[in-house]
Amino acid sequence: MTGMLLNGYVVSLQIFALTLIGAIPLGVLVALGRLSRFKPLSWLVGLYISLMRGTPLMLQMFAVFFIPYYLFGQQTGPDYMFVAVMIAFIVNYAAYFAEIYRSGIQSMPRGQYEAAQVLGYSRTQRFFRIILPQVFKRILPAMGNEIVTLVKDTSLAFSIGIAEMFTTSRALVASQRSMVPFAIAALIYWITCLVIEFVLRRIEKRMDYYHD
Amino acid sequence: MTKPKTREMPRPDISLTSALGLPAVYVKDARKSFGDKEVLRDVSLSIKQGEVVSLIGPSGAGKSTLLRCLTLLDTFDSGELAYGNVRVCANVPGESRTTYDKEAERQARMRFGIVFQNYNLFPHYTVLKNVMDAPIVVQKRDPKEVEEQARKLLERLDIADHADKVPDQLSGGQQQRVAIARALCMNPQVIYFDEATSALDPKLTQDMHRLIRELAHDGMAVGIVTHEMGFARDVSDRIAFLFDGQIVEEGTPDEVIGNPSDPRTKAFLANAED
Ligand SMILES: Nc1ncnc2c1ncn2[C@@H]1O[C@H](COP(=O)(O)OP(=O)(O)OP(=O)(O)O)[C@@H](O)[C@H]1O
Ligand SMILES: [Mg+2]
Repeated sequence: MTGMLLNGYVVSLQIFALTLIGAIPLGVLVALGRLSRFKPLSWLVGLYISLMRGTPLMLQMFAVFFIPYYLFGQQTGPDYMFVAVMIAFIVNYAAYFAEIYRSGIQSMPRGQYEAAQVLGYSRTQRFFRIILPQVFKRILPAMGNEIVTLVKDTSLAFSIGIAEMFTTSRALVASQRSMVPFAIAALIYWITCLVIEFVLRRIEKRMDYYHD
Repeated sequence: MTKPKTREMPRPDISLTSALGLPAVYVKDARKSFGDKEVLRDVSLSIKQGEVVSLIGPSGAGKSTLLRCLTLLDTFDSGELAYGNVRVCANVPGESRTTYDKEAERQARMRFGIVFQNYNLFPHYTVLKNVMDAPIVVQKRDPKEVEEQARKLLERLDIADHADKVPDQLSGGQQQRVAIARALCMNPQVIYFDEATSALDPKLTQDMHRLIRELAHDGMAVGIVTHEMGFARDVSDRIAFLFDGQIVEEGTPDEVIGNPSDPRTKAFLANAED
């Protein structure tokens, strides 16, 4: 029984890790688009963010899953299930992260930009060397909340039939007529969150070598 | 035979600028408005190599605005600005606004530095990295050579012991000296100070006075915005009094502060005494 649960857990962790790997950098691009002085781009990105945050992730997952079929009449293979989940998760979380980045970027004092500009840094250097590292420190607590939420959100992949931990625990509950698998799954989610919170605190400490 | 021309990295060419007899920085008939409020009205000013010029004037006179335009953080509406032989902007016939030249702006940026009133150090970098980063990243100089220069500057400014600390571990006066080192490590020809001494005690003010005179002695042009008349008088070769966007009086400290001729200067100085 534990073996099955652990297999499911590995899938949950995959969704978790891939979402972070995709959404953390994508969110930077989205935030930059939102902050762009080119208004049509900023509006478009604003619309995307609003849509992502205003509709359920589960619904977005289904949309990504069924769009190829309805749009192109294409039968999708079984592999596409996982791909669809990952697209939905990354695109959804990038929107949330982007909003956090944006508030972080906007909280940076103008003097930091000006000092860098006078020293001759290009716009890109300015952003990646001076602004972004400071923004990451500022937003770490808010990012931490989202990341812990993501651990639990991975269970939404259940609805599309991905064999992640919640799916397997539910199958076990049905076949064994016992609630124990649910309890174990809950415990594993909880411990995972505790570990992540611990790691985040360590990172916060590491970045605490300066205050601004 | 024609070889393609390669462009050299702009290097401070103090010798060329002074050989041509050009001022290190030169502004002519500069105007600037915010909305329909004229903040700078036909301001002309220049600083030669080795010269210390202070800009004084009441709050709202336009000192900061002028400094922001000189450091290319903002733009003049019309007028001319040049750093040595690099002309950054000029009036073009038939154009209502002055025309900025992007490439000239880039070159000019390598010719001036500024010490901001609140220093604007990079809090996530150590003192040493604050000083070394731009010369390496922007000027693409050899890191070893830059480090050598940076350490010498920190030594000279008496903050070498703090090289590996981050700015927020330093006092205000120490942070200001880091900001000075950061500006100097770019080898500028002109250095500006916004409120050079407002945060300093008498001893540090004296150190600042000595440093500024040393810099001028080495051939640097120094521009200072200050509210402290005593300091301006002691340190400057020349003082310009800005009032309501216009330079209404300009001359040696003895002329402008000791014996002002314009009634607006007189009134300002009388107020500034207390
Ligand atoms: N970004 C801006 N938008 C609109 N008005 C501005 C802006 N910056 C400055 N001003 C106005 O321009 C005028 C000159 O301001 P400036 O900050 O240059 O004065 P100052 O001489 O530096 O004053 P202080 O001694 O108080 O620093 C003021 O009337 C100010 O309100
Ligand atoms: Mg000011």
